Amino acid sequence: MSDIILKISGLHAKVADKEILKGIDLEIRRGEIHAVMGPNGAGKSTLSSVLTGKPDYEVTEGSIEFLGQDLLAMKPEERAWAGMFMSFQYPIEIPGVSITNFMKTAINSRLKAEGKEPMKAGDFLKLMKEKMALVQMKPEFAKREVNVGFSGGEKKRNEIFQMAMLDPTLAILDETDSGLDVDALKIVADGVNALHTPDKAAIVITHYQKLLEYVRPDSVHVLKAGKIVATGGNELIDRIERYGFEQF
Amino acid sequence: MASNSSEIDHGNYVPVPVTEGIHVPDGGSYRKVFLNELPEKGFVVGKDASLDITVVMLPGHSAELPLTVDLMGEGSEVRLAGICLCKDEDQVTIDITMNHRSGHCKSQQIFNTLAAGASKSAFFGKIVVAPDAQKTEAYQENHNIVLSDEASVNTKPRLEIYADDVKCSHGATVGKLNEDEQFYMRSRGIPEEEAKVLQMISFVAPILTHVGDEDLDAAVEAAIRELA
Repeated sequence: MSDIILKISGLHAKVADKEILKGIDLEIRRGEIHAVMGPNGAGKSTLSSVLTGKPDYEVTEGSIEFLGQDLLAMKPEERAWAGMFMSFQYPIEIPGVSITNFMKTAINSRLKAEGKEPMKAGDFLKLMKEKMALVQMKPEFAKREVNVGFSGGEKKRNEIFQMAMLDPTLAILDETDSGLDVDALKIVADGVNALHTPDKAAIVITHYQKLLEYVRPDSVHVLKAGKIVATGGNELIDRIERYGFEQF
Repeated sequence: MASNSSEIDHGNYVPVPVTEGIHVPDGGSYRKVFLNELPEKGFVVGKDASLDITVVMLPGHSAELPLTVDLMGEGSEVRLAGICLCKDEDQVTIDITMNHRSGHCKSQQIFNTLAAGASKSAFFGKIVVAPDAQKTEAYQENHNIVLSDEASVNTKPRLEIYADDVKCSHGATVGKLNEDEQFYMRSRGIPEEEAKVLQMISFVAPILTHVGDEDLDAAVEAAIRELA
């Protein structure tokens, strides 16, 4: 088992004919948590969109290897099956689809792609219950339509719940701290920490240092104008807090 | 997103003759699901009666479906619902006339259409509230999702209200399946086609839930998979 989970090399990407990422190199190994920080417009959302395969984002140069596979050749659902998960900055509402049905379809789709039998109903419900408890989601949410009428905090909790259900090798947390109060932030962070094991990795994309007080990264990268302009340890977070992104 | 046209007609009320229809007697109730057809005659509903009709048009069926309901006595309730699943060269027209001839009645219409292939579907829905039909409640909704560039949808609600103490509304929408929802589902490992099936099932779910028939649910789901 290779140590490298994600290897981004010379990545350039554009959206709507505008070049946003201008040469990104990043290597993520098992057990590591990486923070990507940067001001608005730096390309943080573009990076997460390219990683998850969002339509309309075009890679013009460079490559991404995910667990030894060519990530850019994979559909979004194939990336999920391979073990990638993104917690959305703005989780989408899906009227008419319950959380239970949503998760059951997601898990059984992966099992089907792996040539396995669907999960037994009893086992599935047990797993749901266990993972909902992890993020302190009330059991009645199982029947609720996905994100419909949820508060900001409930939506983010639902993201981490889905992450717990899907058990990804690489978790990408895209601005997960935005719109969360301290209590909700702690619940989300505890969930993320509980799910992190030595064979997994996470990328925490954030504007602020708030979440990073609870989820401590091994490595911090500063993204500015489509490039990584600084890489360091936790001391970089303090420097950003003190002097902002202007210094880079 | 929404395409919709309507008229509120304050002109002179010219009553048309009551159609020869299936009678729902005073205090009676009539509830039925029609598959790929509607009765040729309309319905004449008496006092304190209830009429609950659901029509499901499966792919591969073309039809003109005119339906007139005459509400003749007070205290009655009517629900008309429909699911149209059209593909290829299917042509389906639903043409409803809801005549509130008596007051204190409630009518509800909900028709949802999924249009694929080169199908042509139309919904004409007319609600006529007679001058004496005070305290009428009449609602109508028609929602359409167009699944291909070649499919066409025509929706035309029409309200003719001659009474002044009524609650009436209509809503019509024409749109596509939401791509943000699809990407969200795909990012969780749900294949694109399955994501679309989930969206389409949820689109017709309010009508199926009301009927509560698992065989019908299964038939509609199978038909939706033909459209995906």
